[in-house]
Amino acid sequence: MNSTNHQVVIAGTVGRLVPGEVQSATFPRAPLGRRGLDEDHVRAFLKQIELDLTQILNERAGLADEVARLRRHVAASSGGELPREDAHIQAVRILAQAQQTADAYVADAERYSRELAGEARRHRQEILADANSRAELILQEAHEKAAIAAGDAARSVPAGPPGTPGDRGDMEREIAYLRTYSDVYRRHLRAYLEALLRNVDEWEQSERRPAPNLPAHPPLPG
Amino acid sequence: MDAQRLKDNFAQVAQQGDAVALFFYADLFVRDPSLRDMFPIGMAAQRDKLLNALGHIVSQVDRLPELVPFLQQLGRDHRKFGIEAEHYPKVGASLLATLRYYSGTSWTDQLAEDWGAAYGLAAKVMLEAAEENAQDQPAWWNGKIIAVDRRRFDIAVLRVFPDRPVPYKPGQSVAMEVQGRPRLWRYYSMANAPRPDNTMDFHVRLVDGGPVSTMLVRGVEIGDRVRMGPPVGTLTLDEESGRDILLAAGSTGLAPLKAILEQVARRAEPPRVHLFFGARTRDSLYDLEDLGKLAAGRPWLTVVPAVSDEHVTDVEYGTLSDVVARYGPWTDHDAYLCGPPAMVTHTAERLVHLGLHRDRIRLETFVDRGDR
Repeated sequence: MNSTNHQVVIAGTVGRLVPGEVQSATFPRAPLGRRGLDEDHVRAFLKQIELDLTQILNERAGLADEVARLRRHVAASSGGELPREDAHIQAVRILAQAQQTADAYVADAERYSRELAGEARRHRQEILADANSRAELILQEAHEKAAIAAGDAARSVPAGPPGTPGDRGDMEREIAYLRTYSDVYRRHLRAYLEALLRNVDEWEQSERRPAPNLPAHPPLPG
Repeated sequence: MDAQRLKDNFAQVAQQGDAVALFFYADLFVRDPSLRDMFPIGMAAQRDKLLNALGHIVSQVDRLPELVPFLQQLGRDHRKFGIEAEHYPKVGASLLATLRYYSGTSWTDQLAEDWGAAYGLAAKVMLEAAEENAQDQPAWWNGKIIAVDRRRFDIAVLRVFPDRPVPYKPGQSVAMEVQGRPRLWRYYSMANAPRPDNTMDFHVRLVDGGPVSTMLVRGVEIGDRVRMGPPVGTLTLDEESGRDILLAAGSTGLAPLKAILEQVARRAEPPRVHLFFGARTRDSLYDLEDLGKLAAGRPWLTVVPAVSDEHVTDVEYGTLSDVVARYGPWTDHDAYLCGPPAMVTHTAERLVHLGLHRDRIRLETFVDRGDR
């Protein structure tokens, strides 16, 4: 198709060719005596162009839809998941929260340990004070009983010759005093030592029970 | 770099208090989870330290002559925690992220640049000091406990054998981490002058609720491992002075003074030394037997035990400051004091009142030497 007979009349506005325009295109007839193109062939060819063009345009519209759909998908998904930086902040917050929980546990454990230690200290102080006053009472009681015994002893023994240095009555009194004193003292000491031994036994038994947080051996069922 | 801009920004951020440090460490651990292992489980004390150090650095940022020595010490101190050059950029990134987060809308590119430059400088100073220190000192000393002497239910004397000699002066202390309480460091004074066999004694008193002291007094056994930082402290003997010496110790504050006493005892001609050893009760004077042995055959040494809360026949009665005052005058002496803060403060004030010049008093309290 050279330019001289390219006076194709196309309906519609000048611009991009649409399939309908291809179909409705008309061509001026060749002047008589000149050899023209086979009109049927031209028509068939135009038909083919129309079909191809239609197909291309349909494909283009489909692709545009696909792009829009993907755009929407991207927009929607980034709305649900955080951008990278926000995700980092989120992780930092979670970790900070976990740390605060850990700090609270550590502080609790320290406070508990401090209270236990303070209590043990007070308990120890009480035991010492109690033992001290008990010891004083024992001594006092021993002294009183011994003094009475000494008095009895003195009365039951007749006085020796006056002025004798080793006066027998004094000696008897002294002996009675000391004997009673040591009896009372021994009795209390024995009771005290027995009480101490019982304490030690209890202590040993409680130590043999494993502490709940530090089992020496895995706890047995039952 | 605009110092005032940094200060203003930090003041604004610091209003959020503990949350700032909480965010910082969480950010750091998200960036590099392996760093979490370098810190203790409970982080509350750690966060206080961070905020204090940051506050100090920022306040001095335009006074480099004062700031640089602080940063150098900080750099050296961090070696024992296993901090190395590779960790510094990560800390810087988290610091900036934290500042940006808490600055909100007032954060600018200019601020980011300033902070970046300031941190870069600080990190450089710290690292250089750490690297220089690494040329002649290990990051820490490993030690083994070779003796445990439980003197009282809450006081133990431990002997540690270090893997190499710790070069300390009598009166100094080391930060110590004990097996079973990882990443918790507490300061304890050496209780002896350096020995040929390198062993070191420590006097530890159980602080109720204190995780480390409880472990050291009640938990450790022979063979347990400890780690020790480099020796620090200024409660050391003034060797230039020819004056007589007054040592006044409360409870386990005895440790550094006993070390100084041993140092003095090695002199050919020791000066006159008075050692006052005070506690509330007679059975708290846990080291009297040893002190008695020390004093025997040393006419230049007088040991005066004192208790404040009970009357007993063989020791002085009264607070340490009262008993010390009773034995005065002390105006010609050098005084060395160590013990609980109130006791040390009272005794120092008393001595000044009695005419001893402040420059002649060297002291240290338990608070200075770590919290527990």
